[in-house]
Amino acid sequence: MKFIIKHLSKSYENDLVLKDIDFTFESGKIYGLLGRNGAGKTTLFNCINRDIKRDSGELSMEVDGIERPLTPEDIGYVLSTPTVPEFLTGREFLKFFMDIHKDKIGDMKTQDEYFDYMKVAYTDRDKLLKDYSHGMKNKMQMLINIIAEPNILLLDEPLTSLDVVVAEEMKELLKSIKGGRITIFSTHILDLALDLCDEIVLLAGGVLETVDKANLDNDEFRKKIIQALKDDDPDIRPAYDMNAEYVSTADVPAGARKQPETEEGTDA
Amino acid sequence: MLKTLKISFGMKNTYRVNTILYGLKQIPLVKELLPAELYGVRGLKIFASVISVIVEIFSALGGKAIYFALMVFLPAGLISENSHGILGMPDPADGFLFVFVILTIAGAIANPYMFDTGRNNYYGVVLMNMNAREVALVDFWYKIFKLVIGFMIFGIFMGLQLGADLWILILMPFFAAGVKLIGATFPLSYYEKHGKRRDSKVIGMLSVFIPLTLMGLAYGFLWLGIIIPKMVCVAIMVAGILLGLLSLKKILNFGYYREIYREILLETMNVRVGSDRLRTQATRKVISADTSITSSKSGLEYLNELFIRRHRKILWTASNRISLVALAVIALVLIAFAFFPEIKGGVNEMLMTSLPYMLFVMYLLNRGTGFTEALFINCDHSFLTYPFFKTPAAILKLFRIRLWEIIKVNLPPAVIIGAGLALILFMSGGTDNPLNYGILFVSVVGMSVFFSVHYLTIYYLLQPYTIDAEVRSSMYKVIMGVTYLVCYMGIQVHLPTFWFGIACIAFSVLYFIVSMILVYRFAPETFRIRT
Repeated sequence: MKFIIKHLSKSYENDLVLKDIDFTFESGKIYGLLGRNGAGKTTLFNCINRDIKRDSGELSMEVDGIERPLTPEDIGYVLSTPTVPEFLTGREFLKFFMDIHKDKIGDMKTQDEYFDYMKVAYTDRDKLLKDYSHGMKNKMQMLINIIAEPNILLLDEPLTSLDVVVAEEMKELLKSIKGGRITIFSTHILDLALDLCDEIVLLAGGVLETVDKANLDNDEFRKKIIQALKDDDPDIRPAYDMNAEYVSTADVPAGARKQPETEEGTDA
Repeated sequence: MLKTLKISFGMKNTYRVNTILYGLKQIPLVKELLPAELYGVRGLKIFASVISVIVEIFSALGGKAIYFALMVFLPAGLISENSHGILGMPDPADGFLFVFVILTIAGAIANPYMFDTGRNNYYGVVLMNMNAREVALVDFWYKIFKLVIGFMIFGIFMGLQLGADLWILILMPFFAAGVKLIGATFPLSYYEKHGKRRDSKVIGMLSVFIPLTLMGLAYGFLWLGIIIPKMVCVAIMVAGILLGLLSLKKILNFGYYREIYREILLETMNVRVGSDRLRTQATRKVISADTSITSSKSGLEYLNELFIRRHRKILWTASNRISLVALAVIALVLIAFAFFPEIKGGVNEMLMTSLPYMLFVMYLLNRGTGFTEALFINCDHSFLTYPFFKTPAAILKLFRIRLWEIIKVNLPPAVIIGAGLALILFMSGGTDNPLNYGILFVSVVGMSVFFSVHYLTIYYLLQPYTIDAEVRSSMYKVIMGVTYLVCYMGIQVHLPTFWFGIACIAFSVLYFIVSMILVYRFAPETFRIRT
């Protein structure tokens, strides 16, 4: 199974955030998505999840060699700040979700089996979600997203604000469910990415590129990633020119990508 | 000090200019014309600066002009002429002076100028570490300056019309400044003595209550013809100026501006920054904690039923209360008919011409906005991150369920009011055309359904909230404003109930059909979290 992005572009006014992205993700792998602040990671996720309209491009799934358009049901999206429906209890949230997906879930377990799997305490299961702690909300969100067994699991900085125990549980969980699906994991923590992910993908200069580990040791690999990120400064991203032809930044020498300071810039 | 003045003004101006530019960017159509880098465009900035200066001058002078005209000049002129003077008719010029003196003292208690500050000063003192004493004093002196100039111009202009002496009129602005100076020393002394700000509900209420009482006394005594003689007023004014000068020492030597300033500014900033968060918290609080609430349904019906039951307080409880009040009002009117039959004619005529008024009433009573806000903050902000919730089938099915639900919640009061109006019409003498009873009833119910449809449709078509429950859609704000305005204007309109009722019913039906088409066509695309 493959998730294929073709010619994906998105700009905000004059700022071209995603620049004609072509990329193929393969199932069974966790992709660590790295990028500078403002590089467009959340924009990319929002485009994939159809939360915002993309300017152009196609998103498709290739299953058993047959390509078809991406559907909302293909995606599970876990946000960094867990959002749960506060007026439901954990159990009701789960029941509702299972109702909705009963035709699609192959091996439906009982509610308590799911709670056990997620290590949700007995006393919490029938509490309103508005009274859940941050970590508990996060677990619920993760649980809901993985029961439906989506083909693509998008995770936007999911572990950063969790306590170490829950974070470790989540990491193990992600590793255990990576088979048969594509997991894309956005983070700012390099160690976490190196530890958890099978591939490191950079979002830099508006395009996606894999950082090839080849035969580098961890330290060299780390340096290579940081250098590649350093070369991309979203704050001096060139203005979007409708008529210009864009080339992947991977083809341009690092130094050449920086824009010379404009006259207004030096005035200030 | 001069440097602080310059920076203070610069910041205030920048803040205003950016607010104006941001405002321009929110206007549909205009925003398409503006460049993306509008905050850096020189021409636009100059344009906004000019507006900013005009606003500053207008607010400085305009406020003083209105104050003088409405609070001092008019009452002094009017009351003096019509006074029921125990001690004879006071001279309007003396009345003018008397009211001015009392109101100025009241004004200094209500707003002593010191520490009444804005966000630009927050940035200066808290973020940029400017000298708090200088910022506070620059702010204070500037307000005093505006006060003196404004009072000088309008005091002299209006005072002369009433025949007051010019030298007294020239004294007036300085007296006002002196009283403000005296007023400013109180919070300073208190802080020195107690090490904290005098800030409590009691003080807050007193600083409203005392000035209002003084104002009432001033007008009251003027009306009775009892005023402080001119020369005593002048003596008070001179004393005010002298004491004001003495107060300078305290104001200039006070050593804790920084502490007070930072305290106040941090507090006010927290309140402002947190307004969305506060609304969210308040909305979360209305969720019923009653664990016995359950539902035997499944899927989206299950979700909806639990939502409605756990939000009973802001939906059904509110609606039931409105129903009860409506019943009581109707009963009172009917009882009044029995005791005062002479009012029947007027009421009857009103019912036959003032149906547009009901538009505003039904607008106020509708629970639609509370419903959609709770829907987003407690429910949709979460579900809209799940793909299954955003499939056209789910969006439209839930829309239907919710529409029916919100119509139901608003229906009982509407039915009671509609039936009540028809009953009152009958009891007040009836009508030639019996169709009017039906029209009254159906149009009121129609209005209720219209508002229910309206709010939910707008919510689905514009979905104005970001994930933090901040409203980020200028279109949404515009539509909400226009809705209010149109309903409010209904108060002024007198139309035959028959025709207005028919038009209302027709419009409601048409609106319902158009809404359904729009929602079915566009909501699957538009019902998304704003980013």
